[in-house]
Amino acid sequence: MAFFLQSVLSGVLIGGIYALIGIGLTLIFGVMRIINFAQGELVMVGMYVTFFLFRLAGIDPFLSVLLTMPALFVLGAILQSTLINRVLDALPQNQILLTIGIGLVLSNTAMLVFTSDYRILSTSYSSSSVAISGVHLSTPLLYCFAITVVITGALYWFLIRTDTGCAIRATAQDREAAQLMGVDVRRMSVLAFGLGAALAGAAGALVSPTYYIYPQVGGAFTLKAFVVVVLGGMGSIVGATLGGVIIGTAESLAAAYVSSGNKEMVVYVLFLLVLLFKPAGLLGKSRM
Amino acid sequence: MKRYLPLAALLAASLVIPLWVHSPYALHIFILLFIAVATGESWNVIGGYAGQYSVGHAAYYGLGAYGAFILLNKQIPPWFGVWVAVAISVVVALIIGSITFRLRGPYFVLASIAVAEIIRLGALSWKDLTNGAEGILVSDLPPLKLGAHVITDWNSKVPYYYMGLAMALLCILVNVAVKYSKLGYYLQAIREDQDAAHSLGIPLARTKNAGLVISAALTALAGSYAAFYIGFIEPQSAFGLDVSVQLVLICIIGGIGTVLGPMVGAVVLVLLSEALRANLIAQGLFKLGLDETSPTGLFLKENLAHAHVLIYGILVVVVILFMPDGLVGFAAARLRRRK
Repeated sequence: MAFFLQSVLSGVLIGGIYALIGIGLTLIFGVMRIINFAQGELVMVGMYVTFFLFRLAGIDPFLSVLLTMPALFVLGAILQSTLINRVLDALPQNQILLTIGIGLVLSNTAMLVFTSDYRILSTSYSSSSVAISGVHLSTPLLYCFAITVVITGALYWFLIRTDTGCAIRATAQDREAAQLMGVDVRRMSVLAFGLGAALAGAAGALVSPTYYIYPQVGGAFTLKAFVVVVLGGMGSIVGATLGGVIIGTAESLAAAYVSSGNKEMVVYVLFLLVLLFKPAGLLGKSRM
Repeated sequence: MKRYLPLAALLAASLVIPLWVHSPYALHIFILLFIAVATGESWNVIGGYAGQYSVGHAAYYGLGAYGAFILLNKQIPPWFGVWVAVAISVVVALIIGSITFRLRGPYFVLASIAVAEIIRLGALSWKDLTNGAEGILVSDLPPLKLGAHVITDWNSKVPYYYMGLAMALLCILVNVAVKYSKLGYYLQAIREDQDAAHSLGIPLARTKNAGLVISAALTALAGSYAAFYIGFIEPQSAFGLDVSVQLVLICIIGGIGTVLGPMVGAVVLVLLSEALRANLIAQGLFKLGLDETSPTGLFLKENLAHAHVLIYGILVVVVILFMPDGLVGFAAARLRRRK
């Protein structure tokens, strides 16, 4: 029983991170109908920013979220207003390829500048863990989850309670109607992409004490974010939150009970099944 | 007839190139070019004409490569093994197609990626058959014999050159045949408007599957050829997402849905990435007056060779933004305007 509980809890902790990346992706999709294939690369940029803040200025990775998020917000806003904005009316395939291209540029620039060496950010608490009635949980993952909850909560508050948040949700619901109601949809798009990138950056900062940092790390996060978002329902933020936790748990249980090599396979098979039998996802409206 | 003259000249030239060009490096570039043309044209059948942007073609490429290698290890000679591998990927393509073609647009793209990833992970974990992440090395191919007569023992790059040329040519001819056949018109109708095509009586599932089968068979052929040429395969280089993306890029950069597009895209990508790999660009900058010993110079000399994928990325962004129809479409539009 303890083993089962252990797997589920570590899965939920990891799932928080997946949720954070997925929410960014789903926010961008909701407002612009664009699937951002560079989402994982933005996480990678966040990881490197955190790594160098730690290495050069000694800033704790969990504290550096406060710096990584604004930095990535600016990067996302620039990407949106210079590149993505031009293809909003293009074929969906071209939009996807544009973001794949941006991802390639980001990861290969990182490789050029930082080389493809694996880097490790080790803090004093990196390998420590907390035991709660026989269940051991890694300390960095616990911190990470706590901060994820705070960020997600703040985002919900922003989207539900503020006027700008309302405008973003309105744009996601119906772009043209929002425009007729006087919402500046172009600004909302820049904001949404910036926010999506900032969330990816936050995720990058939060995982940097537990993951290897290298230029190609983004690809795995991108794929996982797709799974999370499709499972929850494209465009649904609550769905992405739920999807992240479910995928994290499924992965952790698969690693514990099937084999650690096959945990990703389980995730992708789950993904295909959702795509085939419930493409609208758990909480999404069908956009088929 | 006149418009085929340049192509015939190109073909004649490529038939005699190995008679004059003996440098293994030059032949190597040509062989890479043939692989790029073949894979690009294969993807074009389903991605270009039918507009089904599969970003999971690495599945077929890798099945071709692994199928032929595994059969070779079981003492089945390559020129039989290749066709078995092609047949296997056709079967897999039918299964994948009947599952994923129900999805549209971005959902289809995501599903195609997921399928390729599942197969990659399968290759990684089925160690008895695939040797896992270590990959399979084939150092010497059995000589190709016709009866008792030895045609080639694969000791130079020349036989690979002709084999590759034949393969690239086959892929191009299949593209031409598909484009002007009933299947081709059906596929293009589906690309333009799936619902309209359906209401006119085009069987969607059957047509898409037919296109995918042709595309998968050619991709698998190119995959097994590439594997034999390189002599080594492992899951990432055979089934990885990079492989799928590269096939799409060849077509996007050249121009999708045209026969010429993937050829142009292949030439651009292969020459560009080889120029970077061989550090020609850094050397060119030094000739233009950049100081080789300055920090920038040293940095470029050290790192520009690794930047070829970066250039792909930049190219894709530029092409999508400024020439959404690819280089061929862009050039054609320019010519038309001048007239």
